[in-house]
Amino acid sequence: MNTDKNQEKKDKAKIGVFVCHCGGNISDVVDVETVTNTISKDPRVGVAENFIFMCSDPGQQLISEKIKEMGLTHVIVAACSPKLHELTFRKVVAKSGLNPYLYEHVNIREQDSWVHSHEPEKATEKAIRLIEGAINRLTLQNPLSPSKKKTIQNGIVIGGGVSGLSAALDLAERGITVDLIEKSPFLGGRVVQLEKLYPNGEDAKTLVQSLIQRVLEHPLITVYLNSEVIASSGSKGSYEIRIKQTPRGVEDRVEGLEDAIQSCPVEVDNEFEYGLYKRRAIYKPYSDALPDLPAIDWKNCTKCGNCVRATNGKGINLDAEPSEITLYGGAIILATGFNPYLPETGEYGYGETPFVITLPQLIRVMEHIDPEDRGFIYNGKQIKSVAFIHCVGSRQIEGIHKPKNGKLNTYCSRICCSTGIYAATRLKERFPNLKIADLYRDIRTYGFYEDIYEVASRSNVIFFKFDDTEIPKVNIESSSGGLEITMKDELLRGRQVAIDADLVVLNVGMEPSNIKDLIKILSVPTGNGGFLQEVHPKLRPVESQMEGIFIAGTAQAPMNIQESILAATAAAAKAANILVNEEIELSPFVAKVDPLKCSGTGQCIKECEYNAITLINTDDGQQRAVIDPSLCSGCGACVPACPNRAIELQGYALEQIEAQIEGMIKGVPTQ
Amino acid sequence: MDKYDSLVIGGGIAGIQASLDLAEQGYRVLLVEKQASIGGTMIQLSKVFPTLDCASCITTPKMSAVMSHPNIEVKTLAEVVQVRQIKDHFEVNLLQRPRYVNIDACTGCGDCEEACPVIIYDEGYNEGLGPKKAVGVPFATALPQKAVLDDDHCIFCGKCARACPTDAIDFSQREEKLSVKARSIIIATGFLQTPTIKEEYGGGKYKNVITGKQMDRILAPTSPFGGVFRPSDGKIPDSIAFVQCAGSRDASIGVPYCSAICCMYAIKQATLLSAAVPLADITIYYMDIRTFGKNHEEFYQQAKAMGVNFVKGKVAKITEKTNGNLVLRVETFGEFGQIEEFEHDLVVLSLGLVPNWNPKNAIDVDTDTNGFIKMIKPTTNPTLTSLPGVFVAGTAAGPKDIVESIVSGSAAAMKVSEWLQGNLKDAFFSKELPIKSIIKG
Repeated sequence: MNTDKNQEKKDKAKIGVFVCHCGGNISDVVDVETVTNTISKDPRVGVAENFIFMCSDPGQQLISEKIKEMGLTHVIVAACSPKLHELTFRKVVAKSGLNPYLYEHVNIREQDSWVHSHEPEKATEKAIRLIEGAINRLTLQNPLSPSKKKTIQNGIVIGGGVSGLSAALDLAERGITVDLIEKSPFLGGRVVQLEKLYPNGEDAKTLVQSLIQRVLEHPLITVYLNSEVIASSGSKGSYEIRIKQTPRGVEDRVEGLEDAIQSCPVEVDNEFEYGLYKRRAIYKPYSDALPDLPAIDWKNCTKCGNCVRATNGKGINLDAEPSEITLYGGAIILATGFNPYLPETGEYGYGETPFVITLPQLIRVMEHIDPEDRGFIYNGKQIKSVAFIHCVGSRQIEGIHKPKNGKLNTYCSRICCSTGIYAATRLKERFPNLKIADLYRDIRTYGFYEDIYEVASRSNVIFFKFDDTEIPKVNIESSSGGLEITMKDELLRGRQVAIDADLVVLNVGMEPSNIKDLIKILSVPTGNGGFLQEVHPKLRPVESQMEGIFIAGTAQAPMNIQESILAATAAAAKAANILVNEEIELSPFVAKVDPLKCSGTGQCIKECEYNAITLINTDDGQQRAVIDPSLCSGCGACVPACPNRAIELQGYALEQIEAQIEGMIKGVPTQ
Repeated sequence: MDKYDSLVIGGGIAGIQASLDLAEQGYRVLLVEKQASIGGTMIQLSKVFPTLDCASCITTPKMSAVMSHPNIEVKTLAEVVQVRQIKDHFEVNLLQRPRYVNIDACTGCGDCEEACPVIIYDEGYNEGLGPKKAVGVPFATALPQKAVLDDDHCIFCGKCARACPTDAIDFSQREEKLSVKARSIIIATGFLQTPTIKEEYGGGKYKNVITGKQMDRILAPTSPFGGVFRPSDGKIPDSIAFVQCAGSRDASIGVPYCSAICCMYAIKQATLLSAAVPLADITIYYMDIRTFGKNHEEFYQQAKAMGVNFVKGKVAKITEKTNGNLVLRVETFGEFGQIEEFEHDLVVLSLGLVPNWNPKNAIDVDTDTNGFIKMIKPTTNPTLTSLPGVFVAGTAAGPKDIVESIVSGSAAAMKVSEWLQGNLKDAFFSKELPIKSIIKG
């Protein structure tokens, strides 16, 4: 591009600049009148206006009218983050007959008014400088047009708990094929570990198993168990996911499998039972686990061959090798779930006595209570009193709670109040004479779950409230091993109380599953507490920052089953919006190679993380790089790698960025 | 008779989201809204928790997208009066109330409003805090941007008709009955704030005891007061109290459940007030602080750190002094806990959510004991109602915050798309699918 042409572009420019008040979010700090007045003096600006909500319909109308009325060549809106409304305004510009890429979104909220609220004058100047930069950049912008590509009309769901199962079924019922990937050899996730569910007392296993059955039998769903994602490429509309599948070891439902399990000499903690009970190295986590076929735990299997002998050499293969499979899909739903918070040894006595357990462990214990038992017997002891402690591993405060692995869980885990109090009422139902104390900070049985609290109060569960800053202490009596909790009870005007309990239950919170590798492979961001981060909680609540990758259930934040399933179905809706269309529009902000400058060094290929660049042989016998726009993410890593400066990022050409910086430095225009 | 793939009842944020997601998948949607503008409760709000985005920034673009989507038709001032199921679709009778304004001719210029001599309280958008005329565009960001005439208050002087540059005022409009066909229905009728009937809190008679929604209007950029003032005398309040659970967790007023959003909206308002009236003391009287959503607890801790005063104690009674100040009788639990009385010059009742629509005569869906649309499968399929082909989204099914309402709107749209594919019938008709006999290994 030569300078004459650039000059011509500048002379022809008639830019519309629209400054948004954001209902005070911006205009309370930035003097929007000064901004518009100053900017309107720039000779390239045809009109500068400000309005209370530029994104509202009247605001959009204003832009549209000005474009048509004045024959504007470019449009700038100075408002919130482009993450929120860049697309909104591009659509307005396009509808008004202008190329949608002759539009620039300037962020004067997150990057200006919100961060400089105490220096309004400087904030106003910064807004002007940001807009001046944008004007400089935009005048050098060429009209762009997005290319199209074929959508791979298949969904990929990662995670086989209730969220993943629901999302997969939703897509399949919509008529879309689905690949469901689950890390473990069994489906059902965390919910199968529960007993009865609030508020209706449904049986957790029955509920999940019907969901699993439907998934396993659905002709449009393919399930990959024992599988983990090891690589990913592509983008919205055409992702390529490479998975590694570990063999199940048990290949067929043959006779003698039960004997095979019994013959296994290895005994390890059953993670399904949170370590309270044991299992073998060939196992089903529980008797009704689905799919209904045992699996080999390769980490602990000694390959002694006992199991193979028990089935007469049939159905079990201890020599099977892992395999790698590539899956293709236009959208991905992440439903990777949660782990219960694991208290540290000594945290409220946990790990120092078997009589301090977590709430998930209690629920496992409750399922194993023998109906023949006269009372509540746990670990050989008659339990006459139970104390629940809330907020273990949640709502942690600096200076009060000890960080675990260097971090505090500041968030509320949402479900533990209802789950814990429901468990207390279930215990009361079965053992009316059991004394139950409930030690809480705030009871958060929100919505209709208030019922659970009401029922617990009526069934004589005794509540004690402790202050955020003074947490209860669990004392283990050295002689008898009995437990005593001391705390200041706010309900008794801060009096110190001591509560004896045979069993202490810690209402532990939720932490995201350990998916560090997956996060890295898919480049999805996480937020507070390590949960997956949505683009915007209200505008795009189930979408990740990576287009075409959606979030479902507790991978995003603590949720109960109903909320997880709603989120999963919403994620399925967003995925379906992509998958039902045969074609998809691609972002035009991709890198392009100038074949006259390229000498085929291949330096760019090394830098490209998206495998978007290949070298081809041209007619003149030279090698030259070409970039596949459907794979290019527009990251720009290849641009500086080229020794010949042959690559340009469309919309972000070097001269445009230079011009933008110049505009910001120069700031207020002078005539 | 016009036929649609889906009828969405209610143009609040849940109905809007459901309509958009269906339309994006190529389905034809009819969105029916009772009021003169879509936008629901959310468009009235100031900033929304926990991000403190302005409510309009989220709502108006979605409203605009609904209005301009080629697959969505919007009918305002319309109500569903009867739904009959006929084979594979529903026949729906609608009542179209008159706008008295020719919607095609009106440009939303506002000349009629200027000409109108009748000034009344704006009980809708401004929650009774500001004035409005008997004719005019309901509010600045209303959609459609068209005037509406309030025939309860109009004196039929004709000034508006003479002022209108496009002759759009039409006094001859009457109620009309319409019938449409729809293959599926989403109920997204939202909520009402708990009425201020509690005598102990003045039964709605104390001037300086306002509702949560009123406080949001006061704090909104489009505030009817243009700032934070108390209603009785326009004084800038020095001491503001929030009464939590004023309309929830209270069997005496028929709302035994927790409304799930009031803690967060009170803390949000307290946070905004700290900036708007920095010298005012702000106290929140609560039973339990329920900040359970994503980033909500952090929002609460931040408000505490900013100096908002949290007092555990249920407010038993409010009395009004002659100077307009209020005395709150509270049982506190602190170190010196006892029955105490505190004086404030402005009190906000953090009221809860009650159902907005009783479907009884219109459509054969069950409601729950509290009058919300009953979820027949609350755990596994929370958008299903008792009538196959009819789904529920947002607060019509019970208390939800905005994020949850939007998510449930998308979820309801997904379920409708499955229903329209001829699937999902089992889910409505069978209690749960039978479990196949499990062969023991």
